[in-house]
Amino acid sequence: MFRLQGSKVLAVEMTGDAVKAKNGSMVAYDGQMAFKKLSGGGEGLRGMVTRRLTGEQMTVMEVKGHGTCWFADRASEINLVGLQGDKLYVESSNLLATDAGLRTGTTFTGLRGASQGNGLFTTTVEGHGQAAIMSDGPAVVLRVSPQYPLTVDPGAYIAHQGSLRQSFQSGVTFRTLLGEGGGEAFQIRFEGDGLVYVQPSERNTIAGDV
Amino acid sequence: MSTYGAAGPVVYDPMTLPVDDNVNKYTFCVELKSGQWFLQKGKMIAYYGSIDFNGIGHGRLDRLVRTSFHSPLHASDWVVAEGSGRMLLADRAFDVNSYDLEDGNLTIRSGNLLAFQPSLALKQSIVPGFLTLIGTGKFVAASNGPVVFMEPPIRVDPQALVGWADCPSPCHHYDHGYMTGVMGGLRALTGLGGASGEEHQFEFVGAGTVLLQSTETLMAEQATGAVPHEPGVPGGGIPSTGHPQQPGTPRLPGQLGDLQRRFGL
Repeated sequence: MFRLQGSKVLAVEMTGDAVKAKNGSMVAYDGQMAFKKLSGGGEGLRGMVTRRLTGEQMTVMEVKGHGTCWFADRASEINLVGLQGDKLYVESSNLLATDAGLRTGTTFTGLRGASQGNGLFTTTVEGHGQAAIMSDGPAVVLRVSPQYPLTVDPGAYIAHQGSLRQSFQSGVTFRTLLGEGGGEAFQIRFEGDGLVYVQPSERNTIAGDV
Repeated sequence: MSTYGAAGPVVYDPMTLPVDDNVNKYTFCVELKSGQWFLQKGKMIAYYGSIDFNGIGHGRLDRLVRTSFHSPLHASDWVVAEGSGRMLLADRAFDVNSYDLEDGNLTIRSGNLLAFQPSLALKQSIVPGFLTLIGTGKFVAASNGPVVFMEPPIRVDPQALVGWADCPSPCHHYDHGYMTGVMGGLRALTGLGGASGEEHQFEFVGAGTVLLQSTETLMAEQATGAVPHEPGVPGGGIPSTGHPQQPGTPRLPGQLGDLQRRFGL
């Protein structure tokens, strides 16, 4: 059972079950806990090879036991996401912990990933359970519905879930080359039905300068 | 825990996003109804609807720039958002707040100003590194920690100053008793005997409001543009470095300069 204690610490109560968490993110626990490093994110040999090839690396540990375990990472804000059979797309660097029952994998993001400076691949989390994702500043959760598509700055995007189509928009014109660009040269447009998580801060992306 | 966070965090859609108000301490939502807003480059994080972002140099915007923009040389740091929809603004997870000016004026550190309505006019301040907003309208400013409002007369730490409204007189203040004389010189040179780091302040007197942030970590400066290179213009020809400081006058040979003055010679 995931619970936030303040906004920067995740408390997980366990009764013999397990969670997967970012390596080294445990800050305290009481009760009996066992920490086991999962090579390749616990996705088996195929997952390990995929992650190595795609550069979407993730070092994960499995925590199992009875009691409460607290997780935190660099005082990042933590957001809880409930999954009921749908898929969460998140950067591996923003993923703090998931229920052990959730499947994680790697997926191709194409140009969006490139514009974020995060590489061409992203992590997916799928199944029934909870996940905790991290952001720089508390994330704002925005709903996308068919009549209200959403456009997001690649640097502020952290995760999305649901059945969303994403398209990449480029506002690069000859003005950008003249140094008179709108400052928002690359944008991701989400259409469909789902949720998008954005953080109140922008990573450094190539788009930030044009 | 149900799907789409019904029990988790608040989920916003275009109907529930606040209008021209904070979503949380770090995010601000602006509603555009086929109107325009000025914003600093790259501070938009997401939007619903159809909004265009154009650099100030855009020919169509010339008239707007003429009326509400008066520092041509830093125009390239600003963009105009135009269209209809709701737009979220944020700046490196700093606190953001909106302020209303009613036929007033406010001077703000250039790095702190995020966005403003075109009904306000933005001008370079005579104080290097600061910008002045004049008119009626709303603007959004970022600060490191919440902003507190103080009434002059007050002396403030230079790093905590965000801006001031309605023309108090900003000037430097030094604790001369502590900084001069032989002991003061020794203290300043060696740091021994306790330089408190607070010997220099900004002083404000008169009627008005002074805005302070609650930490002493400065926000990164935005260039305010060069000012005309003319006699009598503070910082003329020299790009501002943030601290309102005049370059030292050339020293005569044999003079000890600051050192001499410190030791009271």
